[in-house]
Amino acid sequence: MKRKTNGSATIDPEKEMEEAASSHSEGEDEGEDDGPTGAKRKVTETVSEDGVLRPLKLTRGELYKPPTAEELNQLKEAESLFHCSLLKMQMEELLKEVALSERRKRLVDSFVLKVTELLHTVPQTADVELSDLSWLSGGVKMPFLLVPKAVKGKFHMAPPAAVSLIGSYPLGTCSKPRVSVDLAVTIPSAVLHPKDALNQRYPRKRALYLAGLAQHLSSSPDIGTMRYSCLHGNRLRPLLLLTPPDKDSSSVTLRLHACPPPGFFKPSRFHPQRNNVRTAWYTGLSTEQPDAAEPPTPHYNSTVLGDLLSRAHLQFLSAIASQCAAFTEGVALLKVWLRQRELDQGSGCFSGFVGSMLVAYLLSTHRVSNSMTAYQLLRNCLHFLASTDLTENGITLAKEPDSTAPSLSEFHSAFQVVFVDPSGHLNLCADMTANTYKQVQHEAALSLQFWDDPTLDGFQALLMTPKPMIRTCDHVFQLCGLVKLQASCKKLNLLSELMDHSGNYVQTALPFILSLLQRGLGERVRLLTHSLSPDPEWLVDSEPPKHKDQPPLSFGLLLNPEIAASVLERGPPADSPKAAEFRQLWGSRSELRRFQDGAITEAVLWGGTSACQKRLVPHEIITHLLQLHADIPESSVRYTGGVLDELIRMGRETCSTGEEESLKVVQSFDDLSRKLWRLEGLPLSITAVQGAHPALRYTQVFPPVPMKLDYSFFGREKVSRALVPQEGKPCPIYITPVKVICHMEGSGKWPHDRLAIRHIKAAFHIRLGELLTKHHRYTCHATPTHLDICKDGLVFRVQVAYHREPQILREDISPEGMLRYRDNEEAQALEMETLHRPYLTSTLHGLQPQHSSFGAVCRLAKRWLGAQLFSGDISEDVADLLVASLFLQPAPFTPPGSPQVGLLRFLHLLSTFDWKNSPLVVNLNGQLTAADYTEIRNDFIASRETLPVMFIATPKDKKLSIWTKSGPSVQMLQRLIVVAAESLRVLEKQLMDPSQTQDVRVALRPPLDAYDVLIHLNPKQVPLLTQAVDPPHATFSRGTMPGSVPSCGGALPVIDFNPVGRYLAELRDAFGDLALFFCDPYGGTVIAVLWKPQAFTPQPFKTSQMSARRVEVTGEEARTVPNVEAILEDFCIMGEGLVKKVEPRSERWVV
Amino acid sequence: MAPSKRKQSSEPGVIPGGFTALSLKFKADSGSCHAVCVKEHRVRAEKNSSRPLDRTLFALNIPPYCSEHVVRELFSQFGPIQSVELREKPGTTDPKESKLSKYFTPAQKEGFRVGYIVFKNSSSVAAAKSHPADMPLVVSTEERPVRTGLQKWVHQYSQSLVQPDKLQEVVDIFMQEYDKKKEEESERLKKEAEQQEEDGEGWVTVTRAKRGTKARPHSEVANQKALQKEDRKRKRKELLNFYTWQHRHTQREHIAELRRKFEEDKQRIAVLRAQRKFRPY
Repeated sequence: MKRKTNGSATIDPEKEMEEAASSHSEGEDEGEDDGPTGAKRKVTETVSEDGVLRPLKLTRGELYKPPTAEELNQLKEAESLFHCSLLKMQMEELLKEVALSERRKRLVDSFVLKVTELLHTVPQTADVELSDLSWLSGGVKMPFLLVPKAVKGKFHMAPPAAVSLIGSYPLGTCSKPRVSVDLAVTIPSAVLHPKDALNQRYPRKRALYLAGLAQHLSSSPDIGTMRYSCLHGNRLRPLLLLTPPDKDSSSVTLRLHACPPPGFFKPSRFHPQRNNVRTAWYTGLSTEQPDAAEPPTPHYNSTVLGDLLSRAHLQFLSAIASQCAAFTEGVALLKVWLRQRELDQGSGCFSGFVGSMLVAYLLSTHRVSNSMTAYQLLRNCLHFLASTDLTENGITLAKEPDSTAPSLSEFHSAFQVVFVDPSGHLNLCADMTANTYKQVQHEAALSLQFWDDPTLDGFQALLMTPKPMIRTCDHVFQLCGLVKLQASCKKLNLLSELMDHSGNYVQTALPFILSLLQRGLGERVRLLTHSLSPDPEWLVDSEPPKHKDQPPLSFGLLLNPEIAASVLERGPPADSPKAAEFRQLWGSRSELRRFQDGAITEAVLWGGTSACQKRLVPHEIITHLLQLHADIPESSVRYTGGVLDELIRMGRETCSTGEEESLKVVQSFDDLSRKLWRLEGLPLSITAVQGAHPALRYTQVFPPVPMKLDYSFFGREKVSRALVPQEGKPCPIYITPVKVICHMEGSGKWPHDRLAIRHIKAAFHIRLGELLTKHHRYTCHATPTHLDICKDGLVFRVQVAYHREPQILREDISPEGMLRYRDNEEAQALEMETLHRPYLTSTLHGLQPQHSSFGAVCRLAKRWLGAQLFSGDISEDVADLLVASLFLQPAPFTPPGSPQVGLLRFLHLLSTFDWKNSPLVVNLNGQLTAADYTEIRNDFIASRETLPVMFIATPKDKKLSIWTKSGPSVQMLQRLIVVAAESLRVLEKQLMDPSQTQDVRVALRPPLDAYDVLIHLNPKQVPLLTQAVDPPHATFSRGTMPGSVPSCGGALPVIDFNPVGRYLAELRDAFGDLALFFCDPYGGTVIAVLWKPQAFTPQPFKTSQMSARRVEVTGEEARTVPNVEAILEDFCIMGEGLVKKVEPRSERWVV
Repeated sequence: MAPSKRKQSSEPGVIPGGFTALSLKFKADSGSCHAVCVKEHRVRAEKNSSRPLDRTLFALNIPPYCSEHVVRELFSQFGPIQSVELREKPGTTDPKESKLSKYFTPAQKEGFRVGYIVFKNSSSVAAAKSHPADMPLVVSTEERPVRTGLQKWVHQYSQSLVQPDKLQEVVDIFMQEYDKKKEEESERLKKEAEQQEEDGEGWVTVTRAKRGTKARPHSEVANQKALQKEDRKRKRKELLNFYTWQHRHTQREHIAELRRKFEEDKQRIAVLRAQRKFRPY
């Protein structure tokens, strides 16, 4: 838009849009319209090379030129339809990404042509018995599980009657990745017999025909690898997969379907209540039964019918697509949406084909109009899915079904999900379980919610974020050893269903297991999902895999946090008719119980006293029910819901993960704050008592635990008789001071001078201590900066604050005598301590009752950060804020319902968030509006360079990101991202892959080879040793003994004495300019040192930069380099008694 | 150190810029040395009377385990010492802070420091400068061991236990002084105020006093507040969307806003496209 006066310039914007919209044609027609290219040039100018957004500058002329009608329409549409035009443009870009390129299409076309030619040359063979496979040679096997083996009938190979493209490719809805093109090969009618639909004769002939084709094609050089697969995991519908040879092999997969000639079978034969597999044949027992008593075989019927109708479906869809311009794009978007949710593949999936049919249904019932855009189609599809329950009210595409077609109610009685095709005979969702459909519904409803939220990036949430089960569901469990399901089928008495599924016991048992679990879990879960078993693929010369060979079935639970952890399952009253049902479900676990309200009811009581045990009640329920009703032993249920809990377990013996301990600290604090409020005799009254410590918001990794002290272990201070550590003994137990801020009333009595305020505060500390000792007998210790109070075995560190003090610190008198305020570090630090941190603590404290797993997720996250040596860069407050964002803005997920899924999402957030270009907004208390979000964004972009690399905005801090000001640096953030991604990969693999041994601690062992020096510490002097990731077997007496702790009195314990912390602080003070020091604060026994490269380049001699350096004189010039030998020795000297060994690992310091 | 030894050893480590490097060891059997650079203290205008130019030795790179006491011991071999001052950076001290009691002095960084060593005789400075480089100063010896590491932290912990009565005493003394100062100040102000009041005959003495009680305290905040108040007053009087031109103006602004947004979005897309952020999988 460089030209302003030119008439064509005014319509530039929509040219831009068109250009963006045109997905196929290369867009820029050369010639007269240099508008788009001109605009493009400008865009590339504003976008710098490093991909950082810069504030946009538009001239007045560009902004205020008169608009044309088209431009107005465009802008209006963007404003009203989308939150901004961004979403629209993003979708267009996405469509371009998934659409097939012209080159790819040409490749596909030529390959299809080649294969079609080859297929027509299939030679005729002689008639053989159906069970005779001797004519197959060259190692090609039949892609069919022959159960039972014997079957009557004749078969011979013959050239196909027709070969044609079906499915997504001719429709234009085929999309990347995994481009697969379906080719239907019609079996000539001479090979088939009208009665072949019976007893798997047709499916077997079909498999044989494919084998025959494979044998023929195997000699051709134009074909790459040949494999078999089967359509959506249905073993009755094998497919032959062909890829082009050599380098193009990954670009396309051709799937050969064999199908009967159209109209060969009468569709009415496949009524869901008809039987087409005889029991006598299937079981091999010749029981004389009349035909009517045979059980119906709806699933078998629909597989044959699906083959029969595939061409008709293509015709139907093409007719629809030709009327609606955006049909293909709409379907493509829907497919991306489904794929991100792992719903589009495997047995019983919501495939792209069903998706196209759904769009067609909406179009043909006029729920959407033909002129709608792809964006609107997707939205309407999701809305329809969210609001329509196909398990109750099925839909049909048949306009006027013939009289033989079954009714919807007949479909419902045979299938769980009903969506009838245009012919009126076939249920498109025959294999789908009700749970899968519920999952689709849940996802659709969730997506719509995110779409309507203006504060979210809907595009990311809907279409760009993958939702694997392990990261979506709160608890996940797997059934290993699927062969056990055979026994379940027997136990559940499912012979006729097994016959219907032609022996696929996994698919037979699945719906029954699901409904059993659904009944048992009831209100505890919001959603029970299961993985769709992937389509098996095998080479043409190997036997087809057995049913048990497929990967284990995974089930996902989305918990209802309020109820999920309840230990009591209260049933109906003992005399009600439902009681029997309840007893049947729970078996011997059900017992009569009398409750406080007087009712006597059936009830089941599950074990578990601590929060971490209660979280696993669903596990108990599942194993119990599966054992009782389906004969599945506990050993084949692999439950991953609490595997990560052991990382934050308190001590070795206790089975608590710290929730109870945190609660005790908070209760003790509440009591203290009440007592402080009530104190009398203070010169000024207390206005607020606020916690400023992670333990007071349930997020301390290892919350402080009261310990009884063994006084003989310690030395004594002479005057006050306070305990002091003794040299030569192991370091005493570490007692965490819990920080509390106590705001005093503002008054004229406060002095207006920084030093005087400091003294007055000290006097307050002394006075508070005296009063507390006098009234409540607490042991107190006042210092100028704080007051330590020992209460209930815990130590609270109270700091008195005066609200005007930061302001006074900022005061400054200018030379003209004008009073001005200048920000300085001291004031900021004080404000952080007395204002921001207490506020953050109370806000996050409020999150815990809303989301019961918040604290545990924070603690796991911080445990991980600590173990990976990031504690120095990501402070506790930042980590808590990051976790809070997972709960407050979970899109596209629901808020984490278990610590495990929380940690996984935390790692995912770290590894994928685009810190460079976007601020992370944590909407605490929901105080931010959409306008605030835009404001934050704009401010962020306007001053990106000066802001911290990790920008976190909160309602109280929209512009500065105070929490991340001091770190991490770019390099550390980069490393954090890499390590988080790797940890996530390792963890997810361990949790989902049963062949892996479960040792989740692997993700917490940092790689140490990147560091230059390792300082090994003496475990004896590391007080938090028991919290280490791999705690050593040796334990040290740290001056504690068993027994209960008195709530008051006693000597002042050793508070906040951690040699490791002091050593680290000294190292950083002394060598902070030369090196970085890393250590796991939770029991780490290694300090890793990384030299700073820039400090090791020789520098000219300067008085201000001489620390720990040595001088090298060459002629007149003096240069300094770090004095490494002396520094290494200093490491030992400064850590005398603590350091075991200093191990230099690299030779980099020999400059 | 015996003077005879000094003769045998080689040249002192002289560095361009007037510094001499003295080597310093923690213990006699330590393997490596730090280079402490010393030079006579020389600045253009020394206001600080405690650092006389001729007798003060300026030392760089003093390791963290050398306290003032240790430095005094180390350098007393060159002559009697009057005072030692260790600082994080070269520069002058704030006399106000130095007066504070030990409880209220803010904790210093325990890193490498610079030192100002004031000798009693000016000859000692030269003696220190000519000390040979291969005769290291030893920090910790049998006679005067220096605490480091665990020993030091245990000691520090015991030291940090403050007696409340002693602390109270310090606070009381400080506050008394502060109150006295305050009183004097208010006394002075009162006197000034009295001067400005009318005397018996209605005369007011006008003085050049900087801050009279009647003069408004000038502060930035007050200034800004006044300006904002004016602004708000003006805004309240203004009519919005009243005249046709105003209406047109709002519409124009709206379209401009939409355009700006559109351009911003385009830019964002371009960035994302450049990063290939549209690959769903």
